Amino acid sequence: MAKQDTGISRRDFLKRGAALGVGAIVGHYVAEDGFAASRDRITIYHSSVADSINPYNHSSSPIYGQWQHIMEPLVEMNNDKLEYEGILAESWEFKEKKWVFHLRKGIRFHNGAPFTAKDVIFSIHRIKTDKNSLQRPNFKDVVEMEAPDDHTLLITLDQVHATFLDLVQNRFVLSKAHYDKFGDQMDQQAIGTGPYKFVSYQLGGNFVMTRNDDYWGPKPQIKEVVFRKVTEDAARVAALEAGQADLVNNVPIHEVARLQRHPRVRVETVEGLRMFFLALNPAHKPFDNKLVRRAANHSVDAPGIVKNIFDGNGFVCDGPVGRKVFGADPNLKRYPYDPKKSRELLAQAGYPTGIDVKFYYSAGRYPQDREVCQAIAAQMVKGGFRVELISQEWASFWGNSGVNGGKLPFYYIGRGSLIDADTLYDQYFRTGTSKRLGYSNPEFDKLIDEEQKTYDRKKRAAILRQAGKILMEDAPFVPLFNLADLYGVARNVIWKPPPDEKVLVADMKIR
Amino acid sequence: MLRLRYFKVMVGGIILAALVVCGLAAPLLAPFDPQEQRLESRLEAPAWLGGRAQANLLGTDNLGRDILSRIVYGSRISLLVGATTVVLAGLVGCFLGAVAGYFGRRVDEVVGKITEIFLAFPFLLLAIALMAFLGQGVINIIIALMVSRWVQYCRVVRGEVLSLKERDFVTAAKALGARDYYVLLRHVMPNTLASVTVVATFGMAIVIISEASLSFLGLGVPAHIPTWGSMLSEGRSYMNRAPWLTIFPGIAIFVTVFGINLLGDGLRDVLDPKLRRQI
Repeated sequence: MAKQDTGISRRDFLKRGAALGVGAIVGHYVAEDGFAASRDRITIYHSSVADSINPYNHSSSPIYGQWQHIMEPLVEMNNDKLEYEGILAESWEFKEKKWVFHLRKGIRFHNGAPFTAKDVIFSIHRIKTDKNSLQRPNFKDVVEMEAPDDHTLLITLDQVHATFLDLVQNRFVLSKAHYDKFGDQMDQQAIGTGPYKFVSYQLGGNFVMTRNDDYWGPKPQIKEVVFRKVTEDAARVAALEAGQADLVNNVPIHEVARLQRHPRVRVETVEGLRMFFLALNPAHKPFDNKLVRRAANHSVDAPGIVKNIFDGNGFVCDGPVGRKVFGADPNLKRYPYDPKKSRELLAQAGYPTGIDVKFYYSAGRYPQDREVCQAIAAQMVKGGFRVELISQEWASFWGNSGVNGGKLPFYYIGRGSLIDADTLYDQYFRTGTSKRLGYSNPEFDKLIDEEQKTYDRKKRAAILRQAGKILMEDAPFVPLFNLADLYGVARNVIWKPPPDEKVLVADMKIR
Repeated sequence: MLRLRYFKVMVGGIILAALVVCGLAAPLLAPFDPQEQRLESRLEAPAWLGGRAQANLLGTDNLGRDILSRIVYGSRISLLVGATTVVLAGLVGCFLGAVAGYFGRRVDEVVGKITEIFLAFPFLLLAIALMAFLGQGVINIIIALMVSRWVQYCRVVRGEVLSLKERDFVTAAKALGARDYYVLLRHVMPNTLASVTVVATFGMAIVIISEASLSFLGLGVPAHIPTWGSMLSEGRSYMNRAPWLTIFPGIAIFVTVFGINLLGDGLRDVLDPKLRRQI
């Protein structure tokens, strides 16, 4: 009688086992398209995602980019031409203190309501009055708004303002009809005119939107967008490699070479517009003393940080702003790194044995910020500052309990989308614009007032250079650098990153 | 049998002793200042792997600090937190356990409920919650770990005391007119010492790992103090490019915890009265 086959032989079992094992290991390299981005959905892991459902409760470039999927501004900067383009406004003109915006016709909000000048007035009013709005300073000069008809908006400022469009960009328009119906609850379902519609938002979870098929402009290709806040560099990179995320920002420089060899991932680079600096708040001791602020400038080796921590992928600021920024002065030089000089200045200021300072930052927000801040702290120790490094959650760091309440004496921060020096000077250094720095110099304020009234670009640049000189003298900050923005992107996503940190899915295509 | 037992105690003891020496003599043993950054020579490979700076035996970290020196100094925090927590948690736990076991009834019930409440929380989760509440700092980490660890002593001591207090020598002492506290201190507690020593040794290993975990999560001691846990945490994004940032502190934690566990294991065998009788 033939021997009956009772199951698989031992050898067979081993063979199958080995095949399974190899398959499990190799599988995800072979199945390249298995979990890459698709036209149905793209997942973006970003180090800064909206921390609130209130669309005005922030003032940060990447977060503008997220809300801009849902709601739109009147104008937007074209980063190639470096001039403003109309989005919801078709054209605009100004005369002295009066600005007229001619609005685009035939646009509807996601709730079906037509877009009119009344919606813009409502939105500007909310930005100015909402107690949680962090965008209020932008419209502090607006004294009157009128809508002669549905598609014309008249704005009167209390003074001539040559850079008003800088303030109008990134101010998104919400639906007044939606507010009339839901009042304070309107943010539970964000309604705008954008290419994507709001689906859901969870603090610390996913921010989800879906394509607006009735969009007035060119219809985006990708149907669903998911943003998720992940502040851990390594976690973002790991998610990208595993296919959980299709796009991540702030790829650490030391991972670039390895990711470039990855079969499903590539790295995109662009010279970022964000300028990093250390704010030295003169409203707090010991930074009320100019000598101490200068000592701080002498004690930080920014070129060393760019060279070593970022492997040279950055651009050190020579003056108060980077070379390419409008209003930069090529003749200015940064304070040279000189710890000895720093200690001398501290001694002159009355601190011969050095001084204790608390240094704040929000870990995980910016590229390799933990290392940058630890390096700065160590450098400053040599210059006579005994630095205590304190990391805070972004919301408390940035909000009214922190930077925007004027509560922090000394912090590491980056100003995004910096094209015109006026933006930085007005926001941080002019008296009363924001509370971020308690710096006040009437001479400087006068120059900014004058510059903002000057339409002639050459003259304006000259005034900005003068203002920059004062800042270098008074040293209410330590200018550091601009960095190369590094994005990790799935290979099948066609996208060129912009220098302003806005990740707009409407600009992406799937191969 | 006997040899193996003493062998464990010896190896464990040597490792622990080496750690103590390391911590106490850190300034003599560390070749560099553990805080000193040399950005220009960051991520240097260990000397014997062909790192350029021959001086850095275990290489440098992401800010150019010497890893060997940081490990040597890091042992101080591990030891300090480990030893202090064990002693404090031991005192609190033993006291409550002894009182509960000896007096029984109401006291036992109350202490029993309290220990149950503490046991209901996962140990590390409780420590994390406490650290979030207290903030960073060496003293805070000791408090957080102590609050989470005393229960173990309490349970063991209570059990021991329950059985000890029924023994003849206790009855004899009482018959001679000894007061409760005297009986407890003089006759009962010394007999629990063996068990407590074993719990304490294992406890120390757990505390050292927990301190490393909390530091890894950024809830431990302030960033500028080198600890093994924070070294692991800072090095993890360099796992691909510079694995020595995480491997060496990892080995340090492993060897320490292994040594202390070995010691605890050996002590348990040596001190076990039943086993002792068999010899």
